[in-house]
Amino acid sequence: MKAFEYATALSTDSARELVGANGAYLAGGNDLLALMKEYLVDPKRLVNIKSLPGMDKIQSGAKGWTIGALATVAEIEDHQELAKAHPGLQQAAAEVGSRQIRNVATVGGNLAQHSRCWYFRHRDVLCLKKGGEMCYARHGESKYHSLFTGNTCISPIPSNLAIAFGVLGATVVVLRDGKETPMSIPDLYQKAWDEPTAHNSLQQGDLIVRVEVPAQQRKSAYLQLSEKSVFDWALVSCAAAAKVDGKKLSDVKIFLGAVSNVPYQVQAANEFLEGKTVDDATASKAADLLLEKAHVQAHNGYKVPIVRALVGRTLAQLTA
Amino acid sequence: MATWPEKPTYISSHHTRIDGPLKVSGAAKYPSDMQPDGWLYGMILRSKWAAAKVTKINLDPALKVPGIKAAVLAPAVEERQKAGSDVTLRYYGEEIAGVAGTSKQACLDALKAIQVEATELPFAVREEDAKADDAPRVWEDAPNLSKFSVRETGTVDQAFSECSAVVEGFYTTPVQIHNPLETHGNTVSWTDDGITCWASTQGVSGVRDDLSHGLGVPASQVRVISDFMGGGFGGKFGPITEGVIAGLLSKAAKAPVRLMLTRFDEALAVGNRPSSFQKIKLGAKEDGTLHAFEFENYGTAGIGAGGSTAGGGSGLALRAPYIYTVPNTRVKQAGVAVNAGSARAFRAPSCPPSSFGMESIMDDLAVKMNIDPVEFRLKNDNRTPGWEIRQKEYKIGAEKFGWKEKYKKPGSSQGIVKTGIGCAGSAWGGGGRGSQAEVEIHPDGSVEIRCGTQDLGTGTKTYMALIGADIFGLKPEQITVRIGDTRFPPSGGSGGSSTSPSVSPAILDACTNALKVLQDQTGVADARGENWSGACKKLGVNPLVAQGRWQQGLSSQNTGGVQFAEVDVDTETGFVKVKKVLVVQDGGLILSRLTCESILNGGVIMGMGYALYEERVMDRNSGVMLNPNFETYKLTGLGDVPEIEIVFFDMPERGVIGIGEPSTIPTAAAIANAVANAIGVRVSSLPITPQRVLAALGKDKLSVA
Amino acid sequence: MSESSSKDGFSVSRRTFLKSFGTTAAVAATAQVEAVAAELDKVNKEKIVGPDAVPITLQVNGKAIKLTVEPRVTLLDAMRNMTQFTGNKEVCDRATCGACSMFVDDKLVYSCSMLAIEAQGKKVTTIEGLGQPGNLSPVQAAFVEQDALMCGYCTPGFVMSVTALLRKNPKPTEADVRHACSGNLCRCGTYPRILQAALKAAGVTKISKTEVIPYGNVA
Repeated sequence: MKAFEYATALSTDSARELVGANGAYLAGGNDLLALMKEYLVDPKRLVNIKSLPGMDKIQSGAKGWTIGALATVAEIEDHQELAKAHPGLQQAAAEVGSRQIRNVATVGGNLAQHSRCWYFRHRDVLCLKKGGEMCYARHGESKYHSLFTGNTCISPIPSNLAIAFGVLGATVVVLRDGKETPMSIPDLYQKAWDEPTAHNSLQQGDLIVRVEVPAQQRKSAYLQLSEKSVFDWALVSCAAAAKVDGKKLSDVKIFLGAVSNVPYQVQAANEFLEGKTVDDATASKAADLLLEKAHVQAHNGYKVPIVRALVGRTLAQLTA
Repeated sequence: MATWPEKPTYISSHHTRIDGPLKVSGAAKYPSDMQPDGWLYGMILRSKWAAAKVTKINLDPALKVPGIKAAVLAPAVEERQKAGSDVTLRYYGEEIAGVAGTSKQACLDALKAIQVEATELPFAVREEDAKADDAPRVWEDAPNLSKFSVRETGTVDQAFSECSAVVEGFYTTPVQIHNPLETHGNTVSWTDDGITCWASTQGVSGVRDDLSHGLGVPASQVRVISDFMGGGFGGKFGPITEGVIAGLLSKAAKAPVRLMLTRFDEALAVGNRPSSFQKIKLGAKEDGTLHAFEFENYGTAGIGAGGSTAGGGSGLALRAPYIYTVPNTRVKQAGVAVNAGSARAFRAPSCPPSSFGMESIMDDLAVKMNIDPVEFRLKNDNRTPGWEIRQKEYKIGAEKFGWKEKYKKPGSSQGIVKTGIGCAGSAWGGGGRGSQAEVEIHPDGSVEIRCGTQDLGTGTKTYMALIGADIFGLKPEQITVRIGDTRFPPSGGSGGSSTSPSVSPAILDACTNALKVLQDQTGVADARGENWSGACKKLGVNPLVAQGRWQQGLSSQNTGGVQFAEVDVDTETGFVKVKKVLVVQDGGLILSRLTCESILNGGVIMGMGYALYEERVMDRNSGVMLNPNFETYKLTGLGDVPEIEIVFFDMPERGVIGIGEPSTIPTAAAIANAVANAIGVRVSSLPITPQRVLAALGKDKLSVA
Repeated sequence: MSESSSKDGFSVSRRTFLKSFGTTAAVAATAQVEAVAAELDKVNKEKIVGPDAVPITLQVNGKAIKLTVEPRVTLLDAMRNMTQFTGNKEVCDRATCGACSMFVDDKLVYSCSMLAIEAQGKKVTTIEGLGQPGNLSPVQAAFVEQDALMCGYCTPGFVMSVTALLRKNPKPTEADVRHACSGNLCRCGTYPRILQAALKAAGVTKISKTEVIPYGNVA
């Protein structure tokens, strides 16, 4: 890592001031420090935000759940009441990294984390996402890469929590220059869809302060498939939420992860599943709709059947 | 003449590892832990080009970084600069220079400050690219693809026409990275008194010679210590460029330098197992006897094969038809150079890929001929070393595994998740000679056994103590074991499963001699056990030191070994779950059962990684390795590990053979055969990832509904 | 962006400030004084340090250790390079292998991914803090007994993970152990015996299937 200044912020105003034009917020630090160790980012000052008051609470109320951005992924994993209300969220949290990572990783950091593409992460490859001219994955090793992209970069979003929150219709509250700016999950990642150099829609100085999960009767489920049994990034992940009556769904949302620069949903698939009974045929058709705009690279065609399998299994888990 | 005790108490027992308490508490000091007075942190600057001609190197800016005490060129670079010849870097990660400073952070800054200018050259980092006629040459004076060596027996072309069944296949294995948890590296102190090097090595003597040669210091003034080391798997013999650089830095800075490689560098520059691309054709006569075998393989050892080491060099050339008897064969092998780090011996060099190719096609042919795979092997594994033992290992193993009950036609298992079973056999040489040892017995009854050998986690220290305990009638806790120091009697490098057969006879001899001398000197007829302390007291003032050497008759060579695997394959996601592995292994006389069993487990787990997860991925456009880390170079984890059952054939009459390598040989083949049995199609490339399973099932396309 | 004023060395502590008003009870701090004091407190706590090295004090294994570290020094770097606590190892430096796992307060973390400066005010426990030869913890003793180690380089990390598990869940299932140790890697392949050791330390004996057959008995 390059040398940097360090300060601990005690208020969000101080944090914004301290971070300035070229500082970075330090929460759990897993992603930030790893990026710095490879010289991929170069903040002149790290601002420790873990002492910001009240930002680590997980609370339920009449309007739903409020999850502070500094709540750790382990706290989400262990929170029994939250797991009862939103099992998909707990399942997504339990698959994040390892216990050691979850103990310090924050909800905000998980949502804001950068791409894991091995070209992006390589210190000596100037890929498109880093301002270079070429997406190396498109011309090279693409087995971990996207099936859907809005631009030339095909590095997929790695956050499990993004799709788990997405299907619950969560609002991510971002503090931008002192003003609370609510964003839906799609909003939070829209810029990554539009621009190859973006990982999400956050700007310098933006601070995720909390995630609001509205009160709802939806059940939720999350599944992922990795090459190893545990502690391995998802090849494909799937989250689904719906009101369930027997095996009949309503108010359905289904998202795919690890296959696009954004948490990927297709309105037509959500609409198709509305009022349907879950069985192999509906799951298959839903998968067809989700895969409609898929574009396969040299090495990631195998993600297609995995999408199909996970869509079916996630819906089955939802109605189990 | 020393002999193994007939009724040992500790030898062949399940005694715990004697250095366990030190390792579980952090008290064990590894070369990467050393903090000699005034020590400095060392780091290496490496090439960021796959191929380049260096035009300028300026180390001065590094020396200006606060905390930096020395900066040197890598010896190969300096040599070429001095000779006025081109400094051509041939792979991403090749050493350019080294720095030493008062902190890791200073060194990081210093590496960034060094100025290197180079003209990039074209490169080829993938075997398929490099072997093309018009590929950029890794070495200017030779094509990347070597000539094929050809070895023939019988009349293979005619023999194929005589076969009643023939199968063909193309089987590939990737480059595998050793990735011991402790990276390569040393703490080196070069003073006027000479050089002391705490080395993470499998051969203290070899490091002593390398440093002596590389730094121009007489061997007698170089001391190498490796009391504990964090794994090697064949990669930690030499050449130790990083050790020489640390030595040069130590001399320049007049301070000890601790220079350990980063995980990133570890994957690039200190060895790997060569890849293989095996085109195989196998035919059998109607009665199931193999009749014709044609084999053409090429693989890469990077820019060149590693130096020859115990275990047969880097393992580029495969053993074909491995353990099977075929009267008519044609074996063609070649190597292809790529712009990547050189290969080095890696646990059972050449055998895991040889086993994978051969055992895969054996199953493919057995299936075609509708012969049970175990029967097919019994019929054709009947000549090469270890065959008699393997025949019995297959029979016992098949029985315990429930082979006959479990075996189903390939792909016939019901449901989305399909079950399958497979098996494979192995042969390994082992054996060793030439170690020396000494024993020092003190008048207070304390005993020290010394040998300049290594313990990689293999249990050397433990069995040395067990031997001493049995010879002297003491408890292992009463024996002090000292290894890993060139000041101790010399032994060989720890590779090729040669340590225990080389070292243990020397220990036995030294202890036997020591006992005799103790008894002679003190007049105590039997100084063992409860007579020990009384006898020792009679030594008077000075301790007794006795030597020992390896001798004939206490060790031998050649092991067999077979493995059975059971897997579940999810045919919708391609995910392979290994449910069980049964190991049936022999190894002559096992000195320390507990540590031996751990080694067998470890070999299987490493073989499982080879089967399912591990693969060096090179990017053809940038020339870099894409996965020099544990995130995308994936090692088997606790969550993946199946039940491993071990059945051990005890053969103490054969003496000590060595058991470090055999159990990693057939695992990938057994798993691959189990996968093929489960899904009814062959995944013929390792690792067997979901991607490859789904591709084999024809499912990796958009149009599939 | 303004440079927060404390960077240039102005660091009057809150206590010093209040003291300057005298210590008699008669001098009650007014609301304004308190506000200024609080502001000073905040400014001091929000003080920018670095990039040069700063003095810190870490509580490690019950001892106070004074170090001088740049902000970019990780907790692992500090332990391995600046103290005698070299028991936890640097294997990947990228939060992928667990060899550096340490307790910070009661959480098991990857010390390679935490700055030393952040660990101030927290209780750090390294492997040396769990037990020493002659006085091993139950988990350490179980590892030795079950031979849950070979080269030993991953061992401190695994001991810490199993210790963390048993503190939270004294009666884990096999699946619990696998889950808890999923953040640790071993290249020698000691996993089966780590599983046995963890269960043994929890009072469950899991027998591994190992059989020895004298070759002469084999037909």
